[in-house]
Amino acid sequence: MHAPGTSPTGVETATRHALGWLVFGNSVGLFLAILLVEPQWQLGELSYGRWVPLHLNSQLYGWTALPLVAWLLQLYEVDSSRFRGWGPAAVWAWTAALGFACLLWLKGESSGKIFLDWRGGSLQAFVVALVILWAVLFASWWDRASEWSRMRVRVALAGLVVLAMVPLMMVMASSPKTYPPVDPTTGGPLGSSLMGSTLLVVVLMLMLPRTAGIKGRGAAISGTWWFFGFALVVFGLAEAKGGGHYDWWQIGAMLIELPWIGLIIYDWAGFEWPECARVWRKPVLFWWTLLSLTAVGMYFPGILDHIKFTQGLVAHSHLAMAAFTTSFCAMILSVITGRSVGSPRTVGGWNLAVFIMLMTLATMGWREGQNAEWMIVPTTWRQAGMFIRAVCGASMLAASASWLIKQRKNS
Amino acid sequence: MKATAMRAAVVTAAVYGYFLLFAQFAFVELLRGQVAGHDAETFEKTALGLMALMGIASGFWVAWKGASARKVQTGLLLGAAAAGIVPWVTGLPCLIVVAMITGVAVGLCTVSLATMLRSWCSLVHVGIGTGIGYACCNLPWVFSLPPSQQAGVATVFALLGAVCVPAKAGDSCEPKAREMPFSLAVLLFTALVWLDSAAFFIIQHAADLKQGTWGETLLWRNAVIHLLAALIAGVWLQRGPARLLPAIAWGLLAVAALAVNHDSSRMLGGLLYPIAVSLYSVALVAWPGWFSGAANPRDAAWKAAWVFAVAGWFGSANGIGMAQSLHRVPHEFIFISGVVVCGVMFFPSVKHWRSAAAVLLVGVVACWPRTHAANSSATATERGRQVYLSEGCIHCHSQFVRPATRDDEYWGPSRSNMVEARPVLIGNRRQGPDLSTLAVRRSAVWLKQHFINPQLFSPGSAMPSYASLFETERGDDLVAYLRQLGTADAPAIVAKASTWQPAESHAPSMMGKDLFNRQCALCHGADGTGNGVMAAKLGKVPANLVKGPFIWSPESADRELKIQRIIKFGIFGTDMPGHETLNDEQVMELAKFVLSLRS
Repeated sequence: MHAPGTSPTGVETATRHALGWLVFGNSVGLFLAILLVEPQWQLGELSYGRWVPLHLNSQLYGWTALPLVAWLLQLYEVDSSRFRGWGPAAVWAWTAALGFACLLWLKGESSGKIFLDWRGGSLQAFVVALVILWAVLFASWWDRASEWSRMRVRVALAGLVVLAMVPLMMVMASSPKTYPPVDPTTGGPLGSSLMGSTLLVVVLMLMLPRTAGIKGRGAAISGTWWFFGFALVVFGLAEAKGGGHYDWWQIGAMLIELPWIGLIIYDWAGFEWPECARVWRKPVLFWWTLLSLTAVGMYFPGILDHIKFTQGLVAHSHLAMAAFTTSFCAMILSVITGRSVGSPRTVGGWNLAVFIMLMTLATMGWREGQNAEWMIVPTTWRQAGMFIRAVCGASMLAASASWLIKQRKNS
Repeated sequence: MKATAMRAAVVTAAVYGYFLLFAQFAFVELLRGQVAGHDAETFEKTALGLMALMGIASGFWVAWKGASARKVQTGLLLGAAAAGIVPWVTGLPCLIVVAMITGVAVGLCTVSLATMLRSWCSLVHVGIGTGIGYACCNLPWVFSLPPSQQAGVATVFALLGAVCVPAKAGDSCEPKAREMPFSLAVLLFTALVWLDSAAFFIIQHAADLKQGTWGETLLWRNAVIHLLAALIAGVWLQRGPARLLPAIAWGLLAVAALAVNHDSSRMLGGLLYPIAVSLYSVALVAWPGWFSGAANPRDAAWKAAWVFAVAGWFGSANGIGMAQSLHRVPHEFIFISGVVVCGVMFFPSVKHWRSAAAVLLVGVVACWPRTHAANSSATATERGRQVYLSEGCIHCHSQFVRPATRDDEYWGPSRSNMVEARPVLIGNRRQGPDLSTLAVRRSAVWLKQHFINPQLFSPGSAMPSYASLFETERGDDLVAYLRQLGTADAPAIVAKASTWQPAESHAPSMMGKDLFNRQCALCHGADGTGNGVMAAKLGKVPANLVKGPFIWSPESADRELKIQRIIKFGIFGTDMPGHETLNDEQVMELAKFVLSLRS
């Protein structure tokens, strides 16, 4: 918390902006949900398709990425360094890049790559924001290194080396010429790709209690890290071998996600989580379990075929973003700021609304997969489902707005 | 003391009512009615310029001499006099005198009122008064009067206000904490008034926009919205963070300005516009007294004079001036005012210079003009592909037919090279059909008409109208792109269509007529004679199903099968589309009904 009359710190600014983008992304999401029920409300040339990137990217690069930026600012102790005034500036640069990108997407400047829709001015602006953030982290590392242990200095430097590659990786990944491996017979990503992204999340989940200085008995640490090494090897082999969606090694790579459910739960149980994180800890683990189980389940023949391109897949995306990622990001912010994001009531309201929405979308998806006639003839079940989705979206928007207001009041 | 507060609310309503109805509207119309010829514009500008000048001068005079109830009363009486005599005034010099008196009246009563309100009533009363003022102006029998009679109503407003001016102070309210430097507040309100004035002028002078926002049938609704929104604004200012209110008002105003530009969303614009205007109007009148950090009434009066001079007079004159020849609210207006509002809200002091500089740097990079490698030789198909990307068609339509699934039956055949194109456009969600083989299944005419009004083809469809694409060449380019999707598959699809036959149906459901009305009547007409509402727009008149087709074919199972195949797959190369998602039973029932139409 900053004193009255002083400027918020970098971590506080990132927290506020993350929640601001969550509110914005939810507002656009609600607008899109309403458009699906009442398409005549489309704002002329600002069409449904132009708004979708705003919803997706504000959730990914705003709500999901900024808590990680806050975490980085804290790890590099930017707010304690001589460069503390530049922490908020780096966050503002990030928000400005995303804000201007939103305007450009609304203008129709799209590359056609979902979640990597950066091109032209938006891409260059985002690269500038990434460079500013890196420069601030580097300056803070330079300033704070004398007070850190030698090991910490080296690990932080290694982190900076990795982070230095991010702008270039963004440019490459955003290029329309690159595309992740896709099985041409199913249109779905391979098991190894899914496993790679899962391992990244696992790393973050393992790092959170350790870097935040949360006390713990350290149970199962060695076993967990051994399994992580094994999973990494399997990932490398499966990725190198490639193949099709239903090759046994790709299915095997997918199955390796399952033990992580128990390993993470067991690992987190070994830490004495602060009070501010408790309201989010159970939702994180619940959604993590459900996400992993459904991801593996949906990979199998017959199930993916049934829900591909339907609301069922939208349900799974929302399970990943609105349910798990939101809970995890809220937990990160709670841990690093020492203040809970939301009250038990609003957190409960959010999770209940997400659960109802997921169930509705999954049911609709299963029904859609049976017959495509709903595309031509509007059916009562579809309209009802869309209506429930919009109501859930409104509830989620209200909950997230209350978190933002609470954060502003507290700071 | 409640009586004092209520009287203050009535005075607030009277001042707003007088200003909106007479100074901003009826007088301008009367002025235009009396002046014609090539000097009319110059004269109008001179008269309104003098009105603004006198308004600003009298406002600062109040600040210099000190605000008082007597000055509010004097302003209202002067205003009543100006509005009362104007219908009988002829001649340009006299009109200029009326304009100047009106300016003096408005300057006196607005600055005095904004200063005095805090000693008379609470913020909620300010909200009530503002709401009543706006609501009265929107009452149909006031709004629709000729300007000379509106001037009469404004006279009544002003006289009523003059009578109700409280003689003594009430329970003086404590000022609220200053939430931003006053200069920034002035900037914030200037951006709001500027955008509002420009939008108001554009809507007022474009018949379609006016009809959709404050047309005669919407006046009662608008009156109620104004009243409620202003009341909410008063409560908000009393209890909530005041600085957010103008920002929220700008957000609503921006969406309203976007929405009002289009037929489909004008209703939304018409709903949001009065909310936004009421919200910021309450904040505008309350700011000098409560939120400016004024230490005493004299200080508050100076601040009121500044905010009304810059935001009120200058902002509105500039907004109206820049909107003179426009028929739609430009996106640039929304962007510029948005930059000002965001700047004020987020960087309220110099200690934020690093963040402001970072935003500026990123903004310059994002908006830096780029020389696009303009490919003048790009074909319509290539341009259309870019439209497909820009409009985000990928978010609702796939270009991927999964082998050995029902996709194949609906939109097949599947191909293995679907992930080879760059960017990959396989999509990830279907709100509508797959487009891989669209060229074989839909004609250019059909596609264009469907883009313009999808609901006509599929009532209740989730697809919104893309009529705006056809205001330029982009629509035709998009159709050109779609018309080449899957052309290579035409032989395979034609071969499939010529051998397909439905599975036997065991339970006739007699749904053919319903299906016909839903799927076919649009082109073939309800009676099947080919006179549907879409018939005239097609390249060739649709078949008269009462007389044909296949009229010369003998009645046989083969003839029915041919009709079933046409229903399912359409006729390649014509406007007759397929109905891929109908199941076999539906196709058979529909074919039976079509055959039953034959005379």
